[in-house]
Amino acid sequence: MSGVWVFIENRDGEIAAIAKEALAAARTVADGLGETLTALVFGQDVAGVANAAFDLGADAVLGADDPSLAPFRVEAVGPLVVKLAQEREPAVIMAGASTRGRDLAAWVAADLEAGLVADGTDLAVDGGTVKVTRPVYASKLLATVFVTEGTQVITLRNRAFPQAESTGGSGSAEWVDTAVAESDIPTKVTGFAGKEGGVSLTDASIIVSGGRGVGGPEGFAPVRELAAVLGAAVGASRAAVDAGWIPYEHQVGQTGKTVSPDLYIASGISGAIQHQAGMRTSKVIVAINKDPEAPIFKLAQYGIVGDLFEVLPALTAEFKSKLS
Amino acid sequence: MKVVVCTKQTPSTTADLTVNPDGSVSWDDPGGKPNVVNPWDEYSIEEGIRLKENHGASDVIAITMGGDESQEALKTALAMGCTEAILLSDAAFTGADTLGTAKVLAAAINKVGDVQIAIFGKSAIDGDTGQTAVQTARKLGWTPLTFVSAITAVGDGQITVERLLDDGKETVTAPLPVVIGTVKEINEPRYPSFMGIRKASRATIPVWGAGDLGVDGVGSKVDWSKVYAPAPREGSVEIIEGDSAQEKAAKLVAKLFEEKVI
Repeated sequence: MSGVWVFIENRDGEIAAIAKEALAAARTVADGLGETLTALVFGQDVAGVANAAFDLGADAVLGADDPSLAPFRVEAVGPLVVKLAQEREPAVIMAGASTRGRDLAAWVAADLEAGLVADGTDLAVDGGTVKVTRPVYASKLLATVFVTEGTQVITLRNRAFPQAESTGGSGSAEWVDTAVAESDIPTKVTGFAGKEGGVSLTDASIIVSGGRGVGGPEGFAPVRELAAVLGAAVGASRAAVDAGWIPYEHQVGQTGKTVSPDLYIASGISGAIQHQAGMRTSKVIVAINKDPEAPIFKLAQYGIVGDLFEVLPALTAEFKSKLS
Repeated sequence: MKVVVCTKQTPSTTADLTVNPDGSVSWDDPGGKPNVVNPWDEYSIEEGIRLKENHGASDVIAITMGGDESQEALKTALAMGCTEAILLSDAAFTGADTLGTAKVLAAAINKVGDVQIAIFGKSAIDGDTGQTAVQTARKLGWTPLTFVSAITAVGDGQITVERLLDDGKETVTAPLPVVIGTVKEINEPRYPSFMGIRKASRATIPVWGAGDLGVDGVGSKVDWSKVYAPAPREGSVEIIEGDSAQEKAAKLVAKLFEEKVI
């Protein structure tokens, strides 16, 4: 078995941010193992994606270009990766732990009877083995986990690794046929509604969150205004979501999204352990709360004890003048 | 049409965890129950019950792989309204990885028979891999539909669902049988009724072992032996003082620029 493969998730000709992170992480694994790095590119009209993968540091590109591969369906891509892996026996297959990457990794590992390690946040090469650090028990503990035999299938948590950067590299991709004809793919995608505007929580480098302290749906207005000035995503605690003040897709925490932005501003959030589970890996945490005893202050680098309805607009005004 | 809900018993979300010298993890929850049905599974149990109430499923069967203590999770499922519960328990299942677990669950679903839909929660909050639904689907040869936020139609041998993906909401139709992975948006789980709790407390839960399922040593290709507590976040909070919100805001913004956070 040899070679490191990395799945290049793409949509409308663009490489997903998480795939750029996976590519960079896979590059270090390939270098550590002394193996070549092959980017897997699937979709329709993806020649540009293949070129971009070379530029981002891939040694080779293995791809398929067919209408049945866009939009991504695991029933189309899964069997193709399994077939290619059975023929070529890679040592490591990596993917970002996005919704699509998770489905693909689970499918491929099941069919190859391979070991699977999900949601890595750190990697180390030890001999021929990739040792993966990952959070467990809702990020209360860490585990170092590895596959003991055969192909190692690994997914990587979003924003745990820096994105690959342009190397000026180029090459010619190897294009193969699909593994399943459209008529044999069971799922039919009949609709897709992309997220309207705004920044996605899991990709955001800055997140401004509101909790019980915002007091109602209209209380999110100052949260949104600060987020808009910073180009940030809007997050929320479970209390605010359960109260119906903001949709579930904004929830950060154990039963919401796990995020690790460069800056997390928690306003009116007490910082219950379930919320901490979703944001404790943020690089810098700022807490704004009326209650100086709120647990969120134990996690934060910077705290402001005060009324968020005064502090947030003041921050918005201050950032506006500094950033303009 | 039978529906199977695959559940797991996990530590409660507020449990204090300890890593023992031998590397095992133990936990306690002084304020509540230390073991609960995996919180994500409450949504899959609820959806299973709704398939019976709204889409004519005949049976909603909760299954759990685990030790004897996992009967508690199954009793919660029964109390909420599942019609039956089965514990999959055998020394041979100990230490299984996600693929080993998937093989046991697939064998159990086949043994139940006439199942059209198997439902999973998004992930279990302990191992938190979120891979077992797809792997069980592969071992059954069924279509996996993950991150499902709504089941919009079931009938004529087909199911239509909405999936909450990273970048939007996808509508997908697939022929039955399917394996569904749910997300929290799918429903609001009910509380167990008084009658349900009474019924569950009297229920005898059958146990299926490796022999019943025709599964021999499931094994694991993943080494999970090194679990540890993360280093605490360094330093302590710096409270920004000032006479007004404006003054505090100005000081904080200056610090964030100074440290190149922005």
